[in-house]
Amino acid sequence: MVAALAAFWPDRPETDWAYTGGFAIACGALALALALAAFAGVRFVAFQRLHRLSPWLFALALFLASWEAVTAKLGLLPLPFFPPPQAIVEVAIDDWRRLAEGIFASARLLATGYFLGAAAGFVTGVAIGWSRRAGYWIHPVLRFIGPLPATAWLPLAFFIFPSSFSASIFLIALATGFPVTVLTWSGVASVKSAYYDIARTLGATQRFLVLKVAIPAAMPHVFVGLFMGLGNSFAVLVVAEMLGVKAGLGWYLQWAQGWAAYANMYAALLLMAFLCSGLITLLFRLRDRLLSWQKGLVRW
Amino acid sequence: MVAPIASDHAVRGSTLTLREVSHRFDLEGQPLPVLDRISLQVGRGEFVALLGPSGCGKSTLLRLVAGLDTPTAGALLTEGREIEAPDPSRVVVFQDPTLYPWRTVWSNVALGLEARGLLPTHRGRVEDALRLVGLTGFANAYPHQLSGGMAQRAALARALVNDPKLLILDEPLGQLDSLTRIAMQAELVSLWQRSNFTALLVTHDVEEALLLAGRVIVLSDRPARIKAEVLNSQPYPRHRGDPHFVELRREVFAHLGLDEAW
Repeated sequence: MVAALAAFWPDRPETDWAYTGGFAIACGALALALALAAFAGVRFVAFQRLHRLSPWLFALALFLASWEAVTAKLGLLPLPFFPPPQAIVEVAIDDWRRLAEGIFASARLLATGYFLGAAAGFVTGVAIGWSRRAGYWIHPVLRFIGPLPATAWLPLAFFIFPSSFSASIFLIALATGFPVTVLTWSGVASVKSAYYDIARTLGATQRFLVLKVAIPAAMPHVFVGLFMGLGNSFAVLVVAEMLGVKAGLGWYLQWAQGWAAYANMYAALLLMAFLCSGLITLLFRLRDRLLSWQKGLVRW
Repeated sequence: MVAPIASDHAVRGSTLTLREVSHRFDLEGQPLPVLDRISLQVGRGEFVALLGPSGCGKSTLLRLVAGLDTPTAGALLTEGREIEAPDPSRVVVFQDPTLYPWRTVWSNVALGLEARGLLPTHRGRVEDALRLVGLTGFANAYPHQLSGGMAQRAALARALVNDPKLLILDEPLGQLDSLTRIAMQAELVSLWQRSNFTALLVTHDVEEALLLAGRVIVLSDRPARIKAEVLNSQPYPRHRGDPHFVELRREVFAHLGLDEAW
């Protein structure tokens, strides 16, 4: 099965694209490595994990092959909107410095905004869920402003904040904070009253009830909020970078489109997909660790 | 055996006095009386059962004794002092074990000590309590991995680790299967005999009340009133088939108005 890939990949027609040779060789080498691994799997358990992946690897090879076929080989799709795969390899090799800078800028912005937003949302959510007075004052504000998409604040934020960087942080924090607040709140509010009764009869203080009963019991909800907030923050990040901050992957996308450098755009998109998916995976790993006491967790 | 936190080993159980305790709930503006002038005197180390039909207000009475709620009228006293708030010397074991699912059995049992800041100095008590209820091997298990009986044992250990002077049992065996239940009834008695605490048991199971308690208080339908008091001075372990036991059971059923059905 995996060996069949080897037959597919090296079979490339030469075109005028740079790196075609390199791409073909890389694919061939990968195919060979996979084929070897497939044979090794017969002997060594370590390689047998690949067996599970092989249908996917095959589909991926098919996809790459047809992509190559309709672009570089047959020219069915119009250029420059649909470059062949080797053009993206070309971008990755020639423009890696700018891409790396973009990743770094995006990551810095996202991390700062997300952590500030998540922390603020968590504290606000616990406050509303726990204290009637906090609920009285914060709830109406939350109801009124929360559903407003964070991007609607964009013109105002770039006007109020001293730099586009701090404005973007505010927007990302806002986008993250709303779902985290609401879900933390609902988590704290839905804690069984019996949990509090137990702790109270055992001599717990208010502080203990909040920190050791309400918050741990609300954690499954909090993680749903963190997950939704992360999704929101990606959207705001890209918009903020496109419209305000002159750095990051979102800006790179915009910039590449301006130069009609579609291969660069695909490269940035691909990178963003990896990063976003990676961050969500990271969040789920964290949840699996912290909430290992739960039954029947959804696997990401 | 869980050693006492305080050193006054001889006087472990506390007294409990209920003076004309009445309580009512507000249900959508309608007052719903649940307890009607209940007066009761429980001595040090006594095992008293409150027996009554479902929904008669027994559990409400226990919440008042625990200090989780305050009565509409009347007073509750322990050791001559009025009960105003929950106190770790009066621990409740609820019908539902309500273990915290995010804590292991060990840290569930340690809850009371942790809440009072005693855990660093009294860690050994947690192991003692676990051994007492036979859960030593499950210290690191999570509640969802336990059977119903094991979870209730853990809840019992969580109560006993605090060295209560008054143990309040709110149908603690109500959700167990009948075999586990019989075993746990015997265990409860031996725990009580060894630890000298005062025990107040709420149940709707006549046999259970008579097997465990020295005195059975029969309550009426809501609003609960004390209908009768049945003393059982038989030594432990008691047997369900014993002629005197059968006689007492008949008497209690008569007080509940169920003598014909029996």
